Amino acid sequence: MDLQSLKKQEHQRRIRKGFMWALFCAILWGLWYIPGTVVWVLNPFDEMYGEIAATNGDAISLVITAVLITAFNALTVILALMVWNGALGKFGEMKRTLKEFKPCSKWFFMASIFGGPMAILGSFIAMGFVGGAFAAVAALAYPVVGSILASQWYGEKISKRAFMGIGFIILGGITIFGGGLLTELGTGNVAWIGYIGGLMAAVGWGIEGAIAGKGLDIAEPDVGLTLRFLGENIIWWIIAVPLLAIAGFPMIKYALLVFEPLTLLVLVFAGITFGFCYVTWYKSFPLIGVGRGQGIGNLYGLFAVVFIALFFGDIPSWTILVGGALCLIGSSVMFSEDTGQMESLRGE
Amino acid sequence: MTGNRPIKFRILELCNKNGGAWNYEIVRQIQKEYNLKGDFQRDSINFDLIELASGGLLKDVDAKVDEEGIYKKGFLLHKYVITDFGKTRAADACLMYV
Repeated sequence: MDLQSLKKQEHQRRIRKGFMWALFCAILWGLWYIPGTVVWVLNPFDEMYGEIAATNGDAISLVITAVLITAFNALTVILALMVWNGALGKFGEMKRTLKEFKPCSKWFFMASIFGGPMAILGSFIAMGFVGGAFAAVAALAYPVVGSILASQWYGEKISKRAFMGIGFIILGGITIFGGGLLTELGTGNVAWIGYIGGLMAAVGWGIEGAIAGKGLDIAEPDVGLTLRFLGENIIWWIIAVPLLAIAGFPMIKYALLVFEPLTLLVLVFAGITFGFCYVTWYKSFPLIGVGRGQGIGNLYGLFAVVFIALFFGDIPSWTILVGGALCLIGSSVMFSEDTGQMESLRGE
Repeated sequence: MTGNRPIKFRILELCNKNGGAWNYEIVRQIQKEYNLKGDFQRDSINFDLIELASGGLLKDVDAKVDEEGIYKKGFLLHKYVITDFGKTRAADACLMYV
């Protein structure tokens, strides 16, 4: 084989790998909705919700319970990531990257602010005040934010075709959740704070991706991601949970009640699926760019519905077939793009 | 000697010379400096190079097929050089001049 075709082959392998990572991200993210949904009805979170709701009302109770659930989610994610980095022998690199705060790790700490308290909490707020379908659809807009930021901020090349693919996937997601979305919006008593939550999710994840892309220029993805979750754990466990406890909410009491076998199992499942969904998300960015990585990652909407249907026996409606088809069209548009121009993802 | 800065920083430094550097040279150098042994670590360092090139911080200026098995028999070897964009990013991170 001649040099040119070997080069071409190698290049295609790199792009394929990037798309595969993003696809794994979508599958794992979709899978995460199973423990993410189940954990709400398990103790101690179920009891906690009841206790706070009795004194402070449903809305506040939901946000406070969401904080504790998100905090535990972040904790199990970092445990999963420690095992992962240990197996890959990357603790040394982690220490080296952590020490380089200004050029390197600051990006991952900034990403944790936008990803954690903004995106994940915003998503929970949207779920509580408007509904799950609305939250999922609102978050689907995040690749638009991410790709615009990445292209404007550091000149990432994003073709019209990639944008078209993202558009199809978003339309597909809206169709999948269409029925539920109309019901939720049609109830008439939608609180504006729910919309703010939806906006927080889309903007938060979009900004997180763009910032992470900047940090990943000069850091290892596995290491950068672990630092991002270290940041999120600091935010929840050192700042948010103690502050809420001081404010009088029973955070510590319920945090200590988490040691029930089923709850722990579900949290570990959440940590593994969410942790590795993030590993694959961060690994796809340097190979295919933030815009494409996030666009394919958006297929989580489809996978979530499929997994929830499989595990909980909810019969999916016809909208899933139409929406799923649109998602597949969108990803085919992106997968089949001529990648010859993508030698470098940045404009030279 | 053990390296004390993130591996990608060191790679950018190594590629910051006239004519660039071959991937097998960089990988060997990093393995030695950071005491990273084995094929997995070797491939992992090479992947850092691929990511840096993909991000536009490095570009390959030459390539040849590995006939003798210097790195991996039958694989493509690349000679990388730092780009202007790479120099700008490296200036914030590791290179003391520019």
